[in-house]
Amino acid sequence: MGVITLVYRGILALVLLLTVRCCYEEKNFWKQATAALVVVPLLLRLFMIK
Amino acid sequence: MNFDFKGNKITATALLALALGVCVVAGREFAGNAEMDAVFPAEGFQKKMLSDYFGGLKGHPMDTPVFVQEGPEPGGSVLILGGTHPNEPSGYVSAALFLENARVARGRLFVIPFANASGFANTLAQEASPNRIRFAVLDGSVRTFRYGSRDTSPVVMWPTPDIYIHKSSGQELAGNESKNLNRAYPGDPEGTPVERLAYGIMELLRGERITLAFDLHEASPEYPVVEAIVAHERSLELAAAATMELIGQGIDMRLEPSPKNLHGLSHREWGDFTETMPILMESANPSQGRLRGRTDEALALSGRDKAYLKAAGLGRLFVPYDENGKPLEQRVARHVTAINVFLETLSLFDEPNGVSVENMPGYGEIVEKGVGAYLRKPNRESNGKPN
Repeated sequence: MGVITLVYRGILALVLLLTVRCCYEEKNFWKQATAALVVVPLLLRLFMIK
Repeated sequence: MNFDFKGNKITATALLALALGVCVVAGREFAGNAEMDAVFPAEGFQKKMLSDYFGGLKGHPMDTPVFVQEGPEPGGSVLILGGTHPNEPSGYVSAALFLENARVARGRLFVIPFANASGFANTLAQEASPNRIRFAVLDGSVRTFRYGSRDTSPVVMWPTPDIYIHKSSGQELAGNESKNLNRAYPGDPEGTPVERLAYGIMELLRGERITLAFDLHEASPEYPVVEAIVAHERSLELAAAATMELIGQGIDMRLEPSPKNLHGLSHREWGDFTETMPILMESANPSQGRLRGRTDEALALSGRDKAYLKAAGLGRLFVPYDENGKPLEQRVARHVTAINVFLETLSLFDEPNGVSVENMPGYGEIVEKGVGAYLRKPNRESNGKPN
């Protein structure tokens, strides 16, 4: 795996953590649901599945 | 109705658990798409890998199986390449038909059914392509092939540049073409994954001194180069003779010379950088066209689409199109018949390098009995895995 891919996955992991944090701090259920939806593609790419 | 629900840590945990569940289900399906489709070669085929010709592909997701059968009589060598674009199923299904039925009487036959293995594991966003197409085999079992994308998977190859510069010519194309195998020839042994794949195929053409090489494709019915043969100037005379014979048999076929200033494509670079005679063939596939409606397995198999019927009525298509659509068996039959005609013509034009392949079904047989009639039943001993 190249350095650029490691950097990319590091950025992905950071955005994923921020999204999960946002989901827990958000008081509106629908915005929490939006954050949960965003988690799906981030996880799939972080593990290089899709 | 009020949808203004309050969220809390419990709802956040529940939603994230749901998202994780979706990831597991989707991830398993996507991971399954990366498994090579099972093929069951006819007697006499030996399996190699493309990395046997170019070691730079060893252990890489772009490596792909190469099957070769040598006949009892000496002659030339022919390559059939399917799956350059995994969203063009008649190409790889035709290659699979040769792999599972061919009996080589003279010369050598090379078959690469899934050229861009990574593209089979990928579907493009917003295309809504089906994951797989299925065929009923004569014993009642079902064979499946993946329906992939024109592009190499972004999991294997990224990032996509804004502009793709073809290395050996300096030609500039849209960035997404950097992931297209048929814009990457002659390839680069130190380049991107798709450039290395292209280089591996060039090494096979050079190393095995392939006489005649086919790259099997499909195109949208509204695209001008469709139901067509595209030939490099070295193969043009052979292609002209084969085209006349096909038209004589009632199979309409255009003949297009390979443009000299369009680089990266098999019909240009195979001819310029190796000794082979390159032939690219296109059948008409509505499931990849821009005018199509609902995109599903039925469309990929039948080619029936009401928007295309309307377009045909308006004279906007480059192929005849009616309520019968463009069935896959007809598209496969065109490729198989055209290859058979090319082989007969090669033996007339260049007798010492002729290649003779027997046991392949004719056009009418494929159209009448369907593709499944010529696919082998899954070999339970090999557990359905590729041989």
